[in-house]
Amino acid sequence: MSQVNRITGGRIDRSTQIAFTFNGKVMHGHPGDTLASALLANGQRLVGRSFKYHRPRGIFTAGSEEPNALVELRRGAAQEPNTRATTAELFDGLDARSQNHRGPLGFDFMAVTDLLSPFLAAGFYYKTFMWPRAFWEKLYEPAIRDAAGLGRLSGQDDPDIYDKGYLHCDLLVIGSGPAGLMAARTAARAGARVILADEDFALGGRLNAETLAVDGRAGADWAAETVAELAAMSNVRLLGRTTVYGAYDHGVYGALERCTDHLADSGGKPRQVLWRIYAKRAVLAAGATERPIAFGNNDRPGVMLAGAVRAYANRWGVAPGRRVAIFSNNDDGWRTAADLMARGIEVPAVIDSRDRAAPLDLPGTRHVRAGAVADTQGRKGLRRITLTDGQMIDVDCLAVSGGWNPNVHLTCHQRGRPAWRDDLSAFVPGGDLPPGMVVAGAANGALTLGAALREGRAAVEAMGYADKTPLPEAEDEPRDCAPMWHVKDSRARAWLDLQNDVTVKDVKQAHQEGFRAVEHLKRYTTLGMATDQGKTANIPALAIMAECTGKTIPETGTTMFRPPYTPVPIGALAGRARGRHFRPYRLTPSHDWAKANGATFVEVGNWLRAQWFARPGEAGWRDSVDREVRTTRTSVGICDVTTLGKIDIQGRDAAEFLNRVYCNGFATLAVGKVRYGLMLREDGVAYDDGTTARLAEHHYVMTTTTANAVTVFRRLEFARQCLWPDLDVHLISTTDGWAQFAVAGPKSRDLLRKVVDADQDLSNEAFPFMACGAVTVCGGTPARLFRISFSGEMAYEIAVPARYGNAMMGVLMEAGKEFDACPYGTEALGVMRIEKGHAAGNELDGRNTAHNLGMGRMVSQKKDCIGNVLSQRPEMIREDAVQLVGFRPVDPEARLIAGAHFLDTGAEATMDNDQGWMSSVAHSPTLGHAIGLGFLARGAARMGEILRAVSPVHGTETEVVVVSPHFVDPEGERLRG
Amino acid sequence: MADFTLTSWPPLAGTDMTLAGVRLWAPTDLAVVSLALPLGREDAAMAAIKAAHGTALPEIGKSVVTADGVRLIRLAPDLAFAVFTHATPDAERVVAERLGGAVYTTEQTDVWVALGLSGPDARRALERICMLDLHSDAFAVDDAARTVMEHLGVLILRTGADDYLLLSASSSAMSFLHALETSLRNIA
Repeated sequence: MSQVNRITGGRIDRSTQIAFTFNGKVMHGHPGDTLASALLANGQRLVGRSFKYHRPRGIFTAGSEEPNALVELRRGAAQEPNTRATTAELFDGLDARSQNHRGPLGFDFMAVTDLLSPFLAAGFYYKTFMWPRAFWEKLYEPAIRDAAGLGRLSGQDDPDIYDKGYLHCDLLVIGSGPAGLMAARTAARAGARVILADEDFALGGRLNAETLAVDGRAGADWAAETVAELAAMSNVRLLGRTTVYGAYDHGVYGALERCTDHLADSGGKPRQVLWRIYAKRAVLAAGATERPIAFGNNDRPGVMLAGAVRAYANRWGVAPGRRVAIFSNNDDGWRTAADLMARGIEVPAVIDSRDRAAPLDLPGTRHVRAGAVADTQGRKGLRRITLTDGQMIDVDCLAVSGGWNPNVHLTCHQRGRPAWRDDLSAFVPGGDLPPGMVVAGAANGALTLGAALREGRAAVEAMGYADKTPLPEAEDEPRDCAPMWHVKDSRARAWLDLQNDVTVKDVKQAHQEGFRAVEHLKRYTTLGMATDQGKTANIPALAIMAECTGKTIPETGTTMFRPPYTPVPIGALAGRARGRHFRPYRLTPSHDWAKANGATFVEVGNWLRAQWFARPGEAGWRDSVDREVRTTRTSVGICDVTTLGKIDIQGRDAAEFLNRVYCNGFATLAVGKVRYGLMLREDGVAYDDGTTARLAEHHYVMTTTTANAVTVFRRLEFARQCLWPDLDVHLISTTDGWAQFAVAGPKSRDLLRKVVDADQDLSNEAFPFMACGAVTVCGGTPARLFRISFSGEMAYEIAVPARYGNAMMGVLMEAGKEFDACPYGTEALGVMRIEKGHAAGNELDGRNTAHNLGMGRMVSQKKDCIGNVLSQRPEMIREDAVQLVGFRPVDPEARLIAGAHFLDTGAEATMDNDQGWMSSVAHSPTLGHAIGLGFLARGAARMGEILRAVSPVHGTETEVVVVSPHFVDPEGERLRG
Repeated sequence: MADFTLTSWPPLAGTDMTLAGVRLWAPTDLAVVSLALPLGREDAAMAAIKAAHGTALPEIGKSVVTADGVRLIRLAPDLAFAVFTHATPDAERVVAERLGGAVYTTEQTDVWVALGLSGPDARRALERICMLDLHSDAFAVDDAARTVMEHLGVLILRTGADDYLLLSASSSAMSFLHALETSLRNIA
């Protein structure tokens, strides 16, 4: 098909022809075209089917407000539905398809729904499909979803990449029309850091679509020169193809830059970038959106907004029709007639709803005074219009103008309400703007070119940016407008929301049925809920509601505009945070060694920790874990425990500080010693535990649990800075700085003697349980050694600078060969701590107190500490509180389930009978049966009692015996050995 | 005892690439030592630093390179970092000895990994991950700031007109490298 409707002029590159396909049909256009302009140039008026009734629809606008011309672009995984043809930039090879039809576009089987429209009016699905109830979810809803709707997702992972970024400026100018360009140029010349953003790929806004002159030359040329001047300035950043979609707190704006959507291949670069723009000030120069007038069958392909019709003619050199009538309630509609006629397009009539003389003298066209269009004809495209007086006019395009609505959306993103202006019959920005924002030009109701230029400059001059050069000369074209929202004499359905198929009748019905508030109207009729958010529909619809209620339009009000201004793809919101890089991951220093030695990894917070190390011949993880536990208990095992938080604490008051943050005493801890400490929350609940070593008089190193490493540090920093600023205490994290390994088991000392340099005496006498100190290893490498044990065995933790961590693991294993040493992972670690009765995250779960944990006596009453006072509330220390105890199954073969609740024999599984819960379970290879830790009411006094551990979730019930939580070496002889 | 030797294996050792005309590399043997000023004895601590390095501690958010090549970065009223080239794992001891006990020092070398970024488009790459304003009016040469990039805590320094040094936690070094490398690839 040739470009039958291509006419002269326009700002396209005619020297280059590019090919694209629409529904498989090859068409041609030029660089500078949108898909919409190219389709019109190729005579393609029918471009899609409507959402609900599957009515034929064409291109209605020339911008992002487009309700009709939604298409699917690209193929396969890259397929993107619901793209507005009016904003899609044409490129060679573009593959576009119409959407929402069954069968060919020209013969949509689903068009039958249009015949059923009497039954499908507003709110029909609230009234029908009520019976039988079960059918809704399984039958009705899927059928409706299938029948209605827009484009199709590919169902595959998005193959494109996306990114985000942060920009800063003194002034953000939103919109590059005359007001935006003036604002940007004035501020930029004054030295401000300016960002100028526009959703279009061609900066200049309406100047590109109009024939108005600026400073004696074409407005589009002036725009191009101004853009070129700005582009050459180092303090200016031009963001074309960028929609500023939201105004957020503190001068932050969200913007979506479409980087490669106009290219056939993104070349591995981000398709779109989501910018967060920090703007000291902003000028909203977002222009205005033309609104339609509702009349019978006003949705046929060929019925378009008047401003769009002349945009296609002026900017793209395309005739949307060869015989175009104008239906307008304002002077601006006449300019469409003038521009079309200047390009040789026949304009048989200008139907002006106002009873007044023509604002422009246009010989060759008929002026219908006080006229209106009542109906249209043409099955798949406009053929004829019928006026209210019965006249019929054969046309293939009708340009409709109901006046212009300033694009106030971003002014409302922080709950600002627009204000009504009678002289414009439109809402303009209210007084309550986002801080730092001013509005200029058409967005502010200054709808003439001259006024837009003046406002653009004035807006930034008020900010202190001055430009002494004369203001460009431009006319203030006639813009008189008399409100007309719909043609009352129309009998046929008159469409308001073209995308969601909402008619004037639907609004009236909503009124009749009591859905009169605009927010109710919206939800009952679905008005303004589609991808276009009712940009062309909302104001006419609420004007009709105002008519129905007898209120004024401002009394009726608008719905709340919220971000985004236009749709933002989920992929852009996700940005680069996908897959492995959804969030950062942390590796232990011995990660590479573990990976090379059969480790299975588990995510612990952001850490990847070795969970177990499988060996050949082991049938499953239990085999590996059991072996690791047995080896550690009988010989020696090594575990990377770097993930535990480490906080370096220094200062003359460090001891006092520790005394205040731990519930147990630390003032007496000797240099070279380690002590277990328990922290409480302010409310007395146990918060975190760990050990703290005193390395020197004023120097300690605290360990925290892996999970709480950051929060404990933050809490200590708060205490240091805010609670006790008079203490000389300094904190710094060293978690990542030291690779720390637990070396546990009866052979641990023998192993370490091979690694720790000889000048350190490791004998029990010289380095007893809970000793610590700086040592050197492997011939002089600095290290720290702690004689502490989580496993219950004689054990050490040895720390070396992290850079040596991977090598250290290898060295420890090599040195441990003669003892059959094994590495062990978090599973074996967990088994051994349960066997030993040590609390961990499952026990320190934010509900339990020291009293519950059996550590009530640790809460020293000889000193104060965070949480001390509230931990002594009667409810916290009641006699019948739950206490940490151990459990074993009566049947040694039985499994235990964490989360099971304890009930007396025969008691019903109700909350009233609940006596506590199992917090941790494991299979103990040492004992040969399952073991558990749990909290039981008065647990410490109930040793030997038999209870039922019931898990209604799993549907299991196991008889258990209450035992000491210390399953292995209850006297602690091994760890002191 | 000890037939064993330990090999140093810093997480990003050897990283050196040029993308989008920007060099991204991991400086070799960069040592980091924290300096905490004792409460009530700040003047003595400052004097000790000046005596040791010939340069006073700069204001918060600023850094200074001393005659002996140590970059002193002031992070907080009572906290600074000394960053310098030093291969052996005893940087803290070296710094502490020069300060004679007037300052609390903590070894930070292995806590951090560093990446240098040099080239005319370095700032354009950083725009993708750094929410701070890095324009020279707002972030001049020798300025320093702690911030968050891609959920990672980062200490960023401007070491030249088009040069930056970034430090982040060593355990998440691979994510850190990925963040910067991706930024460069995305602007290339």
